[in-house]
Amino acid sequence: MSYIQVDHLRKTFTVRKKREKGSLLRERETVTALQDLSFQIDKGELVGYIGPNGAGKSTTVKILSGILTPDSGEVLVDGRTPWLERREHVRHIGVVFGQRMQLWWDVPILDSYDLLREIYRVPEADYKKRLDELAEALQLGDLLRTPLRLMSLGQRMRAELCGSLLHRPGLLFLDEPTIGLDAVSKLALRDFLRWENREHGTTVLLTTHDMEDISALCSRVMVLGHGQKLYDGSLPALLSRYDTSRTVIVRFEDAEIQPQLPEGAVLSREGELVKIVYAPQEIPTPDLVALLQKAGPIREMTIQPQNIDYLIASMYREMDL
Amino acid sequence: MRSYLSAFRLRWKMELQYRGAMIGGIICQIMFGLILIALYRALYASKPQEMPIEHVVTYVWLQQAFFRMLLASDADLLDKIRSGGIAYDLCRPLSLYGFYYARIMAQKMTGSLMRAVPMLVFASLLPKGWGISLPASVPALLCALAGLVLGLLCVSALENITMAFTMKTLDPRGIQAMLNMLMMVLSGNILPLTLFPDSWQKVITLLPYAQLLDAPIRLYTGDTPLSEAPRILALQAGWIVVLTALGILLWNRHQKQIIVQGG
Repeated sequence: MSYIQVDHLRKTFTVRKKREKGSLLRERETVTALQDLSFQIDKGELVGYIGPNGAGKSTTVKILSGILTPDSGEVLVDGRTPWLERREHVRHIGVVFGQRMQLWWDVPILDSYDLLREIYRVPEADYKKRLDELAEALQLGDLLRTPLRLMSLGQRMRAELCGSLLHRPGLLFLDEPTIGLDAVSKLALRDFLRWENREHGTTVLLTTHDMEDISALCSRVMVLGHGQKLYDGSLPALLSRYDTSRTVIVRFEDAEIQPQLPEGAVLSREGELVKIVYAPQEIPTPDLVALLQKAGPIREMTIQPQNIDYLIASMYREMDL
Repeated sequence: MRSYLSAFRLRWKMELQYRGAMIGGIICQIMFGLILIALYRALYASKPQEMPIEHVVTYVWLQQAFFRMLLASDADLLDKIRSGGIAYDLCRPLSLYGFYYARIMAQKMTGSLMRAVPMLVFASLLPKGWGISLPASVPALLCALAGLVLGLLCVSALENITMAFTMKTLDPRGIQAMLNMLMMVLSGNILPLTLFPDSWQKVITLLPYAQLLDAPIRLYTGDTPLSEAPRILALQAGWIVVLTALGILLWNRHQKQIIVQGG
């Protein structure tokens, strides 16, 4: 039995639309958020959960954390059905919703943490140890006495994450935790998640649109679209199907040099730089490099893989999402 | 239970942060008090009523001092429900009703105590006929205090019912506008219930709104004789049970159908 077991999950919402001119009643529309979703996650896994906006990712997280009741289907997390045994279930999980706040706005975050300690009945000694550990890993030391409203977005996110982990949850749901963070904060957050996963064996389900997050953290990724699971496996394997082109950027000693390219390679110029887009399956990279070297002395050259966001976009397009 | 107490404490702390609002509130309530008293004095000058003017003045001051117990809704809480921030509270191993009850009670209690103490000091310094009078007796004061505590529980339960409706309608303004009007009139804030016609009073004093401040104030002034005190306190307790049960029922029902707003 897996740690998280999801079978044939379905959830629909009713959306009331604005009344059309001439009709008396508002139209109601049923939107299917999840249709027949099944998956399993083992203890200690770090799983990325991606899909375009409106695919049903947040709905899944809300069902798994006991907030929403699905229309049908079965879910067992550590042997418990979240929406039936909500209070016992939520004792063992931690949740971070990237665009919401759990800490109190006007009081120092330490006070909010104290409340969380009481809510989860964390023993005093354990709480102190855990808070020290988290405050150090998340660099919160000086901020503990600061009210949330005086913090920057990055500081707030770190504070929120600390709040979600105080009770040592075995399972952590992260819903877009790096939304709006700067590069330094993002890297720090990723380091921390890796550390938490390794040190405490915390199972993590990470929902995000930031593919860098996924490729830095998750060995496994699930793709959701139209409420269905479309892919479940490793990220490189997924990307290799869509990763069909490379870009070479060359700067020759003499800007006038015009390399002769084989069929299929597309050349463009940006000032002194020559940009060549090609498909490595058709034109092997060493051949192309040799050709360029023959054309004239090279001052500088870089070969770039395709942008990961671009790959995901073409994947979504192909899957008709 | 300790979690609920902690939520209460934290909300208490939060309320203490708004000292500017407190000073503004005190000045506003004092103005209201003085204007109302001037009005009733004018009324009494032309046509004295059965109820002595000192009782009316005391009634007005106590109503104004504890105004925040009646009309104050937790904006943060309403905002949470509207925007979907409630998602976090649903991930806590708690009863949501109890958690919010603690928050609401803390806000009403801190908000009104912070204002009531300075205001009552002020009102006691005013000349007779303008200022607040002493309680009818020491036992009357004790009964009034007990009544005030029950009133606080009662108003918190009422407010939590509004919250439960907000879960459903998402916009608190409609129901709040309606309930606030009922609250102001039927709790005796606009016109002391003691000045309503006797036949009206028979009905109004049985309603939950009369249990909030009207009941303890009458115990304080002695309009309700001590012999009546047990009946009044029992009536308050009865309403607390009914309103709490109704609130829990609504919360449980709406919680199951909840849709967390905003993705």
